[in-house]
Amino acid sequence: MSSAARRRRHARTQTARYAGIAVLLMFFLFPIYWLFAISFKTADEIFASPPVWVPGSLQLGNYFVLFKDGDAFTVWNSLVTAGLSTVLATMIGGVCAYSLARYRTGGNALASWVLSQRMVPPIVVVFPIFLLYVAFGWIDSYGGLILLYAAFNLPYVIWVMRGYIQDIPVELEEAALVDGCTRLQVLWKVVLPLARGGLFATAVFAFVFAWNDFLFALVLTRTEVTTFPVQVTHYFGGQSNFWAKIAAMSVLGTLPVFVIVVALQRFLVRGISMGAVKG
Amino acid sequence: MQLLRRSLLMGVRLAAAALVGTALAGTAMAQSASDRAVEAAKKYAGQTITIVWEAGLQSLDPLNFSGPKWEKLTGMKIKVIEVPTAEMFTKILQEHRSGSGAYDALNVIPSWMPDLVSAGALEQLDSWVDKFDYRKDLQDISPMFRDNWMKVNGKIYGFPDDGDCFIMYYRKDIFADPALREAFKAKYNREMDVPKTWADFAEVGAFITEKMAPKTYGAAFFRDAPYAQFMFQERFRNEGGKFFDANTMKATINSDIGVKVLAGMRAENKFMPPGVETWGFVENLAAFATGQTAMTISWPPYGRWTAGYGTDDKVMSWVPKTQIAGKVGYALPPGGHPELAAGFSLSVSADSKNKEAAYLFIQWLNSPEISTERVQIPYTLRDPFRDNHYTDPYYLSRWPDAKYYLETLKQAATYGLLDLSIIQTDKYEEALRQGISRLWAGDDPKAIADKIAAQWDAITQKVGVEKQKAAYADWAGKSAAYPK
Amino acid sequence: MTHPGYAAARKRPKRDFFPVVLVGPAIFLLLLVGLFPLIYSIVVSFQGLTMTDEDTSFQGFANYAQLFHDSRLWESILHTVIITVVALPLEVLLGLGMALLLLDPIRGRQAFVALLVLPTMISPVVAGATWRLLFDHHFGPINEVLGWITGHEQALLWVVMPDLVYPSILICEIWQWTPFMFLLLLAALTGVDRSAVEAAEIDGATYWQKLWHIELPAIQPVMIVAVLIRALDLARVFDVVWALTKGGPGTMTETVSIYAYIQGFQQFETSYTAAIAFLIIALLSVLMTAAVRKVEFVR
Repeated sequence: MSSAARRRRHARTQTARYAGIAVLLMFFLFPIYWLFAISFKTADEIFASPPVWVPGSLQLGNYFVLFKDGDAFTVWNSLVTAGLSTVLATMIGGVCAYSLARYRTGGNALASWVLSQRMVPPIVVVFPIFLLYVAFGWIDSYGGLILLYAAFNLPYVIWVMRGYIQDIPVELEEAALVDGCTRLQVLWKVVLPLARGGLFATAVFAFVFAWNDFLFALVLTRTEVTTFPVQVTHYFGGQSNFWAKIAAMSVLGTLPVFVIVVALQRFLVRGISMGAVKG
Repeated sequence: MQLLRRSLLMGVRLAAAALVGTALAGTAMAQSASDRAVEAAKKYAGQTITIVWEAGLQSLDPLNFSGPKWEKLTGMKIKVIEVPTAEMFTKILQEHRSGSGAYDALNVIPSWMPDLVSAGALEQLDSWVDKFDYRKDLQDISPMFRDNWMKVNGKIYGFPDDGDCFIMYYRKDIFADPALREAFKAKYNREMDVPKTWADFAEVGAFITEKMAPKTYGAAFFRDAPYAQFMFQERFRNEGGKFFDANTMKATINSDIGVKVLAGMRAENKFMPPGVETWGFVENLAAFATGQTAMTISWPPYGRWTAGYGTDDKVMSWVPKTQIAGKVGYALPPGGHPELAAGFSLSVSADSKNKEAAYLFIQWLNSPEISTERVQIPYTLRDPFRDNHYTDPYYLSRWPDAKYYLETLKQAATYGLLDLSIIQTDKYEEALRQGISRLWAGDDPKAIADKIAAQWDAITQKVGVEKQKAAYADWAGKSAAYPK
Repeated sequence: MTHPGYAAARKRPKRDFFPVVLVGPAIFLLLLVGLFPLIYSIVVSFQGLTMTDEDTSFQGFANYAQLFHDSRLWESILHTVIITVVALPLEVLLGLGMALLLLDPIRGRQAFVALLVLPTMISPVVAGATWRLLFDHHFGPINEVLGWITGHEQALLWVVMPDLVYPSILICEIWQWTPFMFLLLLAALTGVDRSAVEAAEIDGATYWQKLWHIELPAIQPVMIVAVLIRALDLARVFDVVWALTKGGPGTMTETVSIYAYIQGFQQFETSYTAAIAFLIIALLSVLMTAAVRKVEFVR
């Protein structure tokens, strides 16, 4: 094959690939576009048939209502619960993973028990947890939700971080020990900086899991710490589905995640693939 | 007469209150129920009361009107928790079980009250009613609502606050169209009148669709299961059906009448606009208000909005604009005994940490003065429920046909039928809702009715046959349980 | 993989609490949400607690016996299985196709990948709501587009009619989770040893031969794990169905998670819900035993 022919063929496959990618983008992004579009539409545009494909103007009335009535506060609740639970999960999960990786604490049994916790369906635990929280007075509290999200993210964090730490060369830690560092200092000054990439990657996913949770928040929140997915479902039913509010609230709750995904994109692939490859 | 009596009463009360007021200057005895509530609530200034309200339009009352007004008067804040109707019962009970006291005041559907009271979720209100001198004002609530939606075991647990009922709305111009009437007469050998029976309805509806569709269909209803189950309850009883055998407590919903009603409901979809199976409150309203349907049955707000009353309000921008103002007639639905579907009473949560403040807020909301304003707010869904609401001169003058509207509502409140209310009513209704959604999906009506009956029997077994039998006898003994 | 240096470090104190202290908080939290509910469920499942009945006397196996007569429960399990076995292979195939499409360098690759994974990052409730908007028979764009294609107006009742509800749920599910599969498989394919592929190329292997004999076997472990993760997620599917159909029409799309939620939080059948929870754990354990063995193998 001549190189010109090969180039032509290459160009052809590239064009075909772009066409394929265009179709995929269409399928995967149009629904998101539609959600955003509806959030800017006026009532007339939402209830128009045939549908209005592009909103007439970027009017923010639908958002304004959410802020006026305080519904937008639920995004803040999500931010607090998902954010703090992620910090908590990566912290205690990280040190636990370190202990499992370097000291083989509890041996294989402990490690696989931790992994098995990832498989417990939320529906199985939510009812007992509800009653436990009733007994402790933790219903509708930030603390209760944060603790639960942290616990639910722990198996993932521990498992991924264990694999990550196992891949970090141990010599540096030994050298630090020889230099007279305590083991805690080694953890803080040597391991933490090396494991930062892994921590970021797992944190992104832990955050997204907690952010998107619906079932726990549905059962364990009432008024003060209602998270945004629960708020979205409040607009269904009643006299009608309040599509304007549903769309605007959904966008408010989706934007932060999109920002994070774009900002931390390079960690993303690592986080997701580590989770899989290491189990 | 009524007005005279009320104004006389008011006068006497004013005079008495003025006397007492001067004697006890500074104490909280003001002249009207609303003023008394405001006076007593001032000591709670700065505190927040949480109230559960039906999500959507209903909530605009406390969000835009009563909440801010109360805050201005008393300095108390109102936080509104919007919950979809279908989940209100669950949420209230869940919250009671968790005992966190997150809710202070509640909107409850009266048919749930026995269950909520037996679970201990509602606070008994009698002592506050006496303390704040509210008993007389409760007497002015329409007898139907006062006698059925207020008490459990003789004690007050809620203030009836929303005179819900189904009435029929029809297009006067279509029913008066000479050509149409003549054609109808030629075909059926009788006048084309507003249907009085469901058999009439099927004929008239199909006929109008035949002549006018797709511009205008004979009728449409909201078919969304939570609402449609009320229509089933109404129609089933108007056709002579009984929910249970009073002796054995076996469900008799799968009687021939039950099957006939289900089959009839589905058959009607054929002359209704395509897609009617998914319609809720707003979709159905939109179709009627824009002239796409000639008849519909719904709650009272349809009457206000289709007359164009108040729909210019900015918060109403999403409600379809009426194109049929002045052309709407009001009637009782076929059978003549409309469902007093759902409705709301105001209650105080037994877990509230601020019960008296919560009580004062609901007394104020429910008082003759404030409620008369609230039932006229165009954008909320509170409907007349006090005698004076039906005769309020201002309300009567709101639009040309308002007097016919209020008259029909009053009739509905007189001849209406109560929702089924026994132990664990919500479970029975859930079975009904599921059945209805299977009906639209195309299942056989007989099979659906049998399945509902089987589910009902299972629930009854679980509750205890004798216990439920007593509760049912109690309910069925009410004059508005079945048509006379 | 203990390093000699650590062996030395471990030798020093006879009882070394340092590693235990490190795992302490995590284990405590896991026990709180893992072990406590388990014990609680066991106890309660033998009682007869309901919404109003707080009687804690033991009722033997009554609740477990009821499981076997509860056709709605078994139907809900069947629905869950249906969703899983249809969605999963489609997600794998589509995800693999997407990964292959974007494997070789192409201008804008990184941006495409970032855009394509967005659905996975959305809350399932929001995904369900979004698709309800799209499926709306009157105001939604899907019927409109179908109308263009077929040449006459379409008013399909997507989330109501029996033969359309499952496709609706599956489309939404596949839309949301194929990108997850895609990302995993893309990462795995990128990690495949290029030298083996290039050697095969020199031997004149076709594209499909390379894929079948070299790349797929190489990414098989990742694939198995990915399938496992998704299978477990699908087995607990709740949010999407809740937002799309609430399990309707009737109980036609009720999944086992939705059924357990209704029993526990709407019907307040405390004890019976505990029994259901136990059944779910038992069924999943059977699944897991097989699965974990695979994971071991991968490791």
